[in-house]
Amino acid sequence: MKELTYYLTEPVPETPKPQEKAEPWTETKIVGRPEPRVDGYQRTSGGAIYPSDVNLPGMLHGAILRCPHPHARVTSIDTSKAEAMPGVHVVITDKTPGADIPWYESSQRGDSRLFDDHCRFEGEAVAAVAAETPYQAWDAARAIEVEFEVLPFTVDFKKALDDDAPIVWGTTNRTRDARTYERGDIAAGFTAADVVLEETYNIECQLHMPMESFGSVAQWEGGKLTVWHSTQGVYPIQQGLAQNFGLPLSHVRAIGHYVGGAFGAKLWTGKYSAIAALLAKIAARPVKLFVTREETLLCVGNRPAVQMRLKAGVKRDGTLVALEMENLGSGGAYSGSGTGSADFQTRDLYLCPNVRTVSHDVYINAGEQRPMRAPGHPQNSWALEQMMDALAEAIDMCPVELRLKNIPTVSQARGDRPYSTTGFKECLEEGAEEFGWSEAREAEAANGHLKRGVGVAGCLWAAGAGGPPSTAVVRYFSDGSCNLNMGASDIGTGTKTVMAMVVAEELGVPLERITIEYADTGTTQYASASGGSKTVPTESPAVRDAALNCKSQIIKMAAGELEVPAEDLVLENGEVRSTVDPDKSIAVGQVRAFRASQVVVGVGYRGPNPEDTVTCPFAAQFCEVEVNTLTGEVKVLRFLGAHESGRVMNRMTYDNQIYGGITMGIGLGMTERRILDSNQTGKMVNRNFHDYKIPTALDVPADISTVAIDLGDTFNTTGAKGIGEPVTIPTAPAIANAVYNAVGVRITDTPINPTTLAAKLAAKREGRG
Amino acid sequence: MLPTFAYIRPESMREALEQLASDEAHVYAGGTDLLGCLRDGVFEASKVVSLSGLDEMRGIEETADGGLRIGALTTLAELASSETLRARYTVLAEAAESAASPQLRNQGTVGGNLCQRPRCWYFRGEFHCLKKGGDICYAVEGENQYHAIFGGAPCFIVHPSDTAPAFVALGASVRLAKGRSERTIPLEAFFVPPEADIAHENILEPGEIITDVFLPAPQAGTVSTYRKLRERGAWDFALTSLALVMRIEGGRVSEASAVLGGVAPIPWRSTPLQDAITGERLDPEVAANAAAAAAREADPLEHNGYKVDLVKGVVEETLLSFA
Repeated sequence: MKELTYYLTEPVPETPKPQEKAEPWTETKIVGRPEPRVDGYQRTSGGAIYPSDVNLPGMLHGAILRCPHPHARVTSIDTSKAEAMPGVHVVITDKTPGADIPWYESSQRGDSRLFDDHCRFEGEAVAAVAAETPYQAWDAARAIEVEFEVLPFTVDFKKALDDDAPIVWGTTNRTRDARTYERGDIAAGFTAADVVLEETYNIECQLHMPMESFGSVAQWEGGKLTVWHSTQGVYPIQQGLAQNFGLPLSHVRAIGHYVGGAFGAKLWTGKYSAIAALLAKIAARPVKLFVTREETLLCVGNRPAVQMRLKAGVKRDGTLVALEMENLGSGGAYSGSGTGSADFQTRDLYLCPNVRTVSHDVYINAGEQRPMRAPGHPQNSWALEQMMDALAEAIDMCPVELRLKNIPTVSQARGDRPYSTTGFKECLEEGAEEFGWSEAREAEAANGHLKRGVGVAGCLWAAGAGGPPSTAVVRYFSDGSCNLNMGASDIGTGTKTVMAMVVAEELGVPLERITIEYADTGTTQYASASGGSKTVPTESPAVRDAALNCKSQIIKMAAGELEVPAEDLVLENGEVRSTVDPDKSIAVGQVRAFRASQVVVGVGYRGPNPEDTVTCPFAAQFCEVEVNTLTGEVKVLRFLGAHESGRVMNRMTYDNQIYGGITMGIGLGMTERRILDSNQTGKMVNRNFHDYKIPTALDVPADISTVAIDLGDTFNTTGAKGIGEPVTIPTAPAIANAVYNAVGVRITDTPINPTTLAAKLAAKREGRG
Repeated sequence: MLPTFAYIRPESMREALEQLASDEAHVYAGGTDLLGCLRDGVFEASKVVSLSGLDEMRGIEETADGGLRIGALTTLAELASSETLRARYTVLAEAAESAASPQLRNQGTVGGNLCQRPRCWYFRGEFHCLKKGGDICYAVEGENQYHAIFGGAPCFIVHPSDTAPAFVALGASVRLAKGRSERTIPLEAFFVPPEADIAHENILEPGEIITDVFLPAPQAGTVSTYRKLRERGAWDFALTSLALVMRIEGGRVSEASAVLGGVAPIPWRSTPLQDAITGERLDPEVAANAAAAAAREADPLEHNGYKVDLVKGVVEETLLSFA
């Protein structure tokens, strides 16, 4: 038999005794280090195969014909021309047998079908084609002759409740009765206040722009469906398609290894997923269907615009006494809420006894909302954090100080349960220190027309704790290498790298000896979709549990061979050793049972979070801007993100999330917005990358620094909370506050750029503002 | 996704001009605008004639009178990196450098930049607008935040080129060729407003192309600059821009040529601005007066009033930078 080689580079933590639960780590050797991605080379070299790279023998290409009107009824479809075109295999419409798949069942009113004749937004699917090349498919889709009865539309959510607004559904555009949250006595709160301010804030609709488009490759084999899907979660894809086609879960395999980015819109299936599978079924060929960039701008999801009226009362000493917020928004024509979570921080971020929020949601004839990186929170932050800035000025207090005065230790909106940790105070204090806040704030204003200013904004993210279920499997091979098997997706955040580090931490196996099998319903265990900043806090304890399970099994094997009770043994430095009798030890690679079985399979599970505490991440971001008072140009000079997200699992991926979140927040605050032609056609006018402006490298400061606040949270066995979403919440209001600090102009409505700022600066200069 | 068209790559100018002398033939220089228009169905093409085989249309060279000849196929990147331009025609090098993105500047040509179609989203999108033969200009009642504040009616496009205002400010002329004939005209006369021709932005006849652009020799004491305001740092058309060429003698502006971009359907020469600074010593008061003068004739729509402030701001800032 070949000699076993056992690799060990680092001391490993002690294995829990049998039947004992693992304690949270006190210190770590590998976890927390700045480790490059385990798949970094593949991702950057082109070696990684993304779903959109998958090509199968005999594969056809799909294209979707979409409704060009915001509201219309299909009166006739003639597919004969399209069907006769070269390369075309299948054209499907509402009439096609098998196409009567129910859709939008979760919406409040009524059902609809995959190709429903009633199209309630521009971009709704009307028909689809599968052909031998993508170009043939597109040409054929455009050759389908459709007659529409164009119906009156409502696309401006602020006018959706007007008496003369055309109705999207039923009898009113209200999706439901206004939702109200209330605590304390709001009127008494305002009476007690020394200063009361009121302002209306508007934030524009932001669109999902992952590098990889939305879609899949679908293949049927003997009544079983396999899809290679660009997704955040293969299990929701499996469930969605099983439901669409009446299949058992066992008959749908979803594979989603590499994903070219996702921000919430890839959490579950889209119509494009069902259409690809249906085309493949009817054509009896694999079908690839990835939507075009125009379609991603038009109809696969968005972060809704919200109008927020916020009234706040504060005492002279900085005590917040009343917050009242009224929000209006729209999740589009179907499911989803336009105002969801857009009041949560008003309820929970600051200590305040009297709070009332009212949220109004309306339907409009526009593409539906989908979760987008901290749904609702950046919108809420835009209003709340600018209001905090204004209150601070009104009582002549430093904005950092005002926030520090109002930090809660319990979640007021969640039964006053204490937070497992709240690092908000440390984020503000240590962030301000590292940023040089006081010095920058007090710096003398320049004489010229370029003015500098600094701003701060804070946040919490309501989720980010993770929780069960999750099952992870570690296969520990007899040469000391490992395979980690987990169902979760790595949507580009570094999940694979972090989980490999957890295995390395527990088993002392170098990262390069660990392979990862993941995101495949055929070969991995159930995991919920990677979203909500919960992937690391959900999966890392399960992965750790699986690694510990491997260790326990090896100790048990060694116990038999050493004739020592397992509870007296520890696995350390590549050997199993008795804590009682130092002579009793055996190298792991020499354990006979392990050599015989060749592999130890450890299964790990995610246990529940404590019920008596609330876990969520906190942050404060600081920035410095330079404003050109003649032209309204704003240059973001530097940013600092101070984040408390529990244990820092990998400082490189942690920092990357902060860079990415700030970049996205700059887009939300300064350049991005969906523009609908609301007065005339209701169509979206900026459905391309030159009119829908995502920030470029020149819009993001090179100087972004990070401060990691780790208070040793023990709510799970790795202590990790989510980082992916809080990073984008306070960015836009931090910029707005910095602009105010620079030039004394308040931008209540995005975007912060010359199109909004120039007129206000001119008015101020000419004494009009 | 593209229409079906014949692709021809002539080896000589004569052949190219012959090939272009048919309906629905389109010139392919850098292709950065043409391919987008074809993919978006802005117009059709049955024949695409590539000029890439015509080396005589490339390059920057001095002319006998001390000026420059710039071949129409010279790329924007070549303009931006030309030491000659940077030193003697600063406004043009800066304008070329401010356009688009590095990839687009490597591909996009001078001729193409001058002839590019407007970026109005109604013209580019699925709207049968006035310019495309429809009945209305959607910008009038619609989303007009990027549209014209000068010389708009009846169509409110803005001319998207960054180099055009610079060339016009420098007094450039263009040589045009069609069939076996050619003509040379001042570039300023090349562009036409929508009231003169709703469907076209210039006087090019079917089958006619720009072959060269000529710049006069700069006079002693000439300074120039291009300043572009936009929403993001790169890959963005001008919200407002200013191409300014001045001759300064004895501390005073003796001659001024000022052309605004991003605010009108054609590169917009601002005579009021030129008048306000000619003969003056540049100081804050003169700059403020000139800024007000430049904006005086603006006639904004519902959502583009900020451009009036941008015109004032860019004029004032630019003039003060020379004070």
